Amino acid sequence: MAELRRSDADQLAYDEAFDRDGNVRPLYAAIVERFSNFDAAELRRREGIIEEEFRRQGITFTVYGDSQGTERTWPMDLFPRLIAATEWQEIERGLAQRVTALNRFLADIYTGEGAAMADGVVPAWLVQSSDGFERNAFGVSVPHDAHCVIAGIDLVRDAEGQYRVLEDNLRNPSGISYVIENRAAMTRAFPRVWEDHTVEPVGQYGRMLRTALESVAPTGAGEKPLIVILTPGIYNSAYFEHAFLAREMGVELVEGPDLVVDEHVVYLRTIEGLVPVDVIYRRIDDTFLDPVSFRPDSTLGVPGLLGAMRAGTVTVCNAVGNGVADDKAIHPYVTDLIRYYLGEEPILPNVETYVMWEPDQREAAFARLDELVIKPVGESGGYGIVIGRNATDEELANARAEIEADPRNWVVQEVVELSTLASMCDDVLEPRHLDLRPFVITGERTQVFPGGLTRVAMRKGSLIVNSSQGGGSKDTWVLAPQGDAQADSRSPASPGTGR
Amino acid sequence: MRLDIAYRLHFTYAEPVSESQNEIRVRPRDDLRQQVLSYRLTTTPATRVLQTRDYFGTTVDHLGIRGPHDDLLVVAEASVETSPTGRAPAPVSCERLGDQQFVNQHVEYLAPSQHVQWGELVDEVASWAVRGAADDVCERVLAVAQAVPTVLAYERGSTSIGVTLEELIDGGRGVCQDFAHLAVGMLRCIGIPARYVSGYLFALDETRLDEGPDDGGPAAGDGASHGGAEADGNSPSLSEDVFAPEPAPVASPTAISVQTHAWIEAAVPGHGWQALDPTNGGSVSERHVVIGYGRDYNDVPPVRGVFNGAADAKVDAEVIIAQPTAPASMVTEPIRRQARVAVSPSMDTAAQQQAAQQQQQ
Repeated sequence: MAELRRSDADQLAYDEAFDRDGNVRPLYAAIVERFSNFDAAELRRREGIIEEEFRRQGITFTVYGDSQGTERTWPMDLFPRLIAATEWQEIERGLAQRVTALNRFLADIYTGEGAAMADGVVPAWLVQSSDGFERNAFGVSVPHDAHCVIAGIDLVRDAEGQYRVLEDNLRNPSGISYVIENRAAMTRAFPRVWEDHTVEPVGQYGRMLRTALESVAPTGAGEKPLIVILTPGIYNSAYFEHAFLAREMGVELVEGPDLVVDEHVVYLRTIEGLVPVDVIYRRIDDTFLDPVSFRPDSTLGVPGLLGAMRAGTVTVCNAVGNGVADDKAIHPYVTDLIRYYLGEEPILPNVETYVMWEPDQREAAFARLDELVIKPVGESGGYGIVIGRNATDEELANARAEIEADPRNWVVQEVVELSTLASMCDDVLEPRHLDLRPFVITGERTQVFPGGLTRVAMRKGSLIVNSSQGGGSKDTWVLAPQGDAQADSRSPASPGTGR
Repeated sequence: MRLDIAYRLHFTYAEPVSESQNEIRVRPRDDLRQQVLSYRLTTTPATRVLQTRDYFGTTVDHLGIRGPHDDLLVVAEASVETSPTGRAPAPVSCERLGDQQFVNQHVEYLAPSQHVQWGELVDEVASWAVRGAADDVCERVLAVAQAVPTVLAYERGSTSIGVTLEELIDGGRGVCQDFAHLAVGMLRCIGIPARYVSGYLFALDETRLDEGPDDGGPAAGDGASHGGAEADGNSPSLSEDVFAPEPAPVASPTAISVQTHAWIEAAVPGHGWQALDPTNGGSVSERHVVIGYGRDYNDVPPVRGVFNGAADAKVDAEVIIAQPTAPASMVTEPIRRQARVAVSPSMDTAAQQQAAQQQQQ
């Protein structure tokens, strides 16, 4: 059989599958048992099936700044990640709570009174100095205040196994297509693995998203609102996902020139003439949306779109200007925003984060910078991060100087010893660090999609899970609550995408 | 002072274009110092105009023409009553500029913005400008406003939107937008919050006058973008100063020079925003009519837009400001002191290229 290594005895991180004494946790008993029956050659064979599945479908992602070509086949590790039903219910409640508060915050900023700023929950200057604060979005209201229809919230598990929020992604979070494709690949490579578990299906995503998008159509839209996905085009790193979602939802995939505005109404050009568009799920950045109001050199957007949004004839999702709420400098305030808007205690804690414009916090952080993680607020994808304990003295001194020069643009976080889980590395299943990006959908109400994208750092000891930095992914199973009918339509062979 | 303003914007195209979309910011603002009595915007061809207010409180008219058209005429007419500006406040120590609450309140107007980025040269010029000034914010603001004309020579047509402040100083000349941007940059770099103001100046002829209007024929090829100056921003601006009466220079005392104009406001601790006009010697009067303000030009351009079609376009902007005389009984036909001017953006080669890129496919 293939070797399944336990984590080292001195590992600080929480291991998902094994407890500190090396005993398999009950949640993972069946899957560990099943994998124990495969030898290394068999696992390699199945790994080949997964890779072939992604290659055949052209499911790739782009690594920016990589010297050797940039397209890579989507990497999926074959050992799945499991989440117990009770554990998931807690995560689900926590995420719904958080995204509800973040939507309230966005509505407060762009169409409200700015109450959270006036009441000192978040400093107004911090909002005004955020790169994500989009003045053009001012006064543009969104049905149900669903500024963020699709959120991707990055969760990590600390050494005690506690889930914490690392980052919010409220603009154009990508990755949902991989969740669904991972499930399809898993089903193909391990057709019998479902016999032991009842797993929440993921194939309903398209329907769920479509329902949410329909619910934010402007008043005046018909029974069946016309929804389109606006993509920058085939050269975008997430184009595969744009096409995938269009197919899953049964809506048109369009580019800017396919749309035209006439008297503040957006139309789709079709061979039968112009058809009014009600909802645009756009996957292009704010500043490219409309060359009249934003970047005049953008050919990706739709001239006059902002006027149409202001006229209330079309809803653009996610709304413009969401970047202010997922600014890493705002992140430390989100738990207070939950208390402020909802009057509830946050269910999911943040990763402990220090803001560098508060002198006390800055000095305390400087005193132990070599134990902390330093993040530029304006970067994403894991770029620009300095992990104190791995950094040289010179790197730390540089980071310190940069923070002092521009404290607004840095945050410092406690290191979280991301939890680990067995992952296939050179014929051996070894513990590797991972995180979780669940997707939260808001229409009339806020719902959490079961599971999410588990990303795994394939290099031993690495805490950087971003696929752009060599990370992989795992099929993520949310187990159905105990007592559910075991023989319902989900099992044994249909937890896949249903396609 | 009662002023009637007509802003007339005429796009003509060498061949039919379509899908023109524009944002117009020319409506005077309502505030404590000025009251808009009426405002009307019409277009030919006719289209539904959507009026909104932006983040800065400026009125925006959104309008588009989808079908093929050879020209587009936009006429905005406003009547506005302005009142004199207040006196300069008593001295305010510069120490108060460092007050954290004051800094936080004005964060948007202290930070660099798209057209207001500064380096050592601006720093030096700003320090030089206030070298002899007392410990008084107002005095420093005035010193900066008065120093700008010694750094820049006013030169009509030398539009510099998209040029850095450093290049502006090196070039040594500019129009009112450049004067305003440089003043804003100098103030921000010495810690005084400053904002850019777009408006109209009903100026008597003792102010700067020019040799006369252009022939109205801009260089060929400046299509595609209607005046938006963004990104690398070499595009022309239609808010360029317009000078000179038409048809002929009028020598009588009623001669008026009319312009769309730009000036600045600086925040003085405890006294709010103080307006100054760096192009015209510093003071702002009831002849200044505010359209709106922002971090720089880019937040309040009079017009920006795009269209789809041939690159050959001609843009004429004309501003007519009249001071209706009262009472009407004195004359059967009210005498209107007015002047007409034409403005056309001049574009250099780089600007043309930029504009060409902005053309929508």
